[in-house]
Amino acid sequence: MQTLRRFPLKSLDGVFVCCFRKMTTVPKVEAVLIDLSGTLHIEDTAIPNAVDALKRLKSSGVKVRYVTNTTKEPKRLLHNRLTQLGFAIQLEEIFTSLTAARNLVEARKIRPLCFLEDEAKEDFEGIGVEDPNAVVVGLAPSYFNYEPLNKAFNLLIEGASLIAIHKARYYKKKDGLALGPGGFVEALEYASGVKAEVVGKPEKTFFLEALRDLKCSPQNAVMIGDDVRDDVGGAQAAGLHGILVKTGKYREGDEEKISPAPLATCFDFPAATELLINKYL
Amino acid sequence: MALPVKPSPWSSKSIQGVLLDISGVLYNNTEDDVGVAIDGSVEAVERLRKSGLPVRFCTNETQCTREQLVRKLSRLGFTLGVSEVFPPAPAVCQILKERNLRPFTVIHPSCDPEFADIDQNDPNCVVLGDAAKYFTFEKVNKAFQTLMSLEKPVLISMGQGKYYKEAGGLKLDVGAYMKALEYACDVKAEIVGKPSPSFFNAVLKDMGVDASNAVMIGDDIVNDVGGAQACGMKGIQVRTGKFRPSDENHPTVKPDSYVDNLAAGVDLLLQNR
Repeated sequence: MQTLRRFPLKSLDGVFVCCFRKMTTVPKVEAVLIDLSGTLHIEDTAIPNAVDALKRLKSSGVKVRYVTNTTKEPKRLLHNRLTQLGFAIQLEEIFTSLTAARNLVEARKIRPLCFLEDEAKEDFEGIGVEDPNAVVVGLAPSYFNYEPLNKAFNLLIEGASLIAIHKARYYKKKDGLALGPGGFVEALEYASGVKAEVVGKPEKTFFLEALRDLKCSPQNAVMIGDDVRDDVGGAQAAGLHGILVKTGKYREGDEEKISPAPLATCFDFPAATELLINKYL
Repeated sequence: MALPVKPSPWSSKSIQGVLLDISGVLYNNTEDDVGVAIDGSVEAVERLRKSGLPVRFCTNETQCTREQLVRKLSRLGFTLGVSEVFPPAPAVCQILKERNLRPFTVIHPSCDPEFADIDQNDPNCVVLGDAAKYFTFEKVNKAFQTLMSLEKPVLISMGQGKYYKEAGGLKLDVGAYMKALEYACDVKAEIVGKPSPSFFNAVLKDMGVDASNAVMIGDDIVNDVGGAQACGMKGIQVRTGKFRPSDENHPTVKPDSYVDNLAAGVDLLLQNR
């Protein structure tokens, strides 16, 4: 049975609270996977004190990877944006679902009709797209209009395969919530009868791929994110531990939506790093 | 020795009322919106009327008003009365009024007049129709945001069709977008129109015919035929419209008969009259 305890911790801002599930064994954490959008930043604004919190985490010696389902920008631009916000992140430390999707397309030698914003197509450079026999769906609001979706639907009923870079329901923007690609993937699945293969979070393979070159087993890794199902639920299903943060797309009561509950639910990324440093590293 | 002939299920005179789907059975729409009658369908409807059987037109059409649909079909040679046509929009308006619901609508602009006397300010629900090219990302996103802002989100979908046939090929139908919003908002849509039993029952009541004495002829194996059978009616599947060869062996729906088109379906029904 899980019991929730309140655990007061000092943060750089003062006293705040983390709620966490009582564990029979305390995990020894060697690697941390950190979500980006909603966890470290929201568009062009860093989460308050996240830059310093990340420095503290990295100086503790723990291995870090940034894992993201972001498909609106190529890795290069994502890296630029984060660096400009003050985060000390290396390009190689970023693992995106776009990269995972490209790897899959290359391995299968398929020719995709891509639902990707123009900027993100940079990460798909060199992939043949003539005479498509597959549909790849990322976050592409400019293309989620009727005609392109109809074209994809017709390809699918003629035998094309469907790859979803991820199936996020929605994400947080400055001015509120916006539809992710998940609904449109569901629409295509329903209309065509073709099941999508999902590449990004919360798929198990995504988390294990992210940990692969860190040579860390899942039970010694923690995922920190704002999406209870895709970040925390997905990571825990892959054998990692999960910490939910109450920023970004988090909504009140999200921690009750998955079972088992998150290892901890923290106010924000700085609170999560303090918890890790004090308790699990 | 001759094999015994199985009696046709249509040889008895138990059929007392006929429901016909419109799109894919009477006609197929075209990109210029004029449409083209399916071979034999105009005459088939005439023959049904002459037989004295009550006929109603049960459609999930939401790209135009009833009046426009009747006018369009009359230009193709059909004679339908507006009161014989049962699309979902009027049924939705009744529900909205009964439940004090103010909709954010994602519908084809030509269907707007059906909602003319419905208060659409400060929406507390979303209504979906077959908006076709008006299913822009912006519109669907606004519908999503509306639902997410509500404590008790209500999503009403006029039908749940996956696709329909237009002259150029198959086109995504309202059901696909219903699924998109159900998934994104974690809500269940209420279906108004085929295959909802209350929709079929309203038509049967209007005809004064019991379900067990009625037959639906349609091109959508799940929503027309399956929906009708689930209400106790018989269902005839035509091989026109959105019919696909894989429908001959559908995993869950077994039509009472398959016919090439409406004309053949009417032949079957009238063979002993």
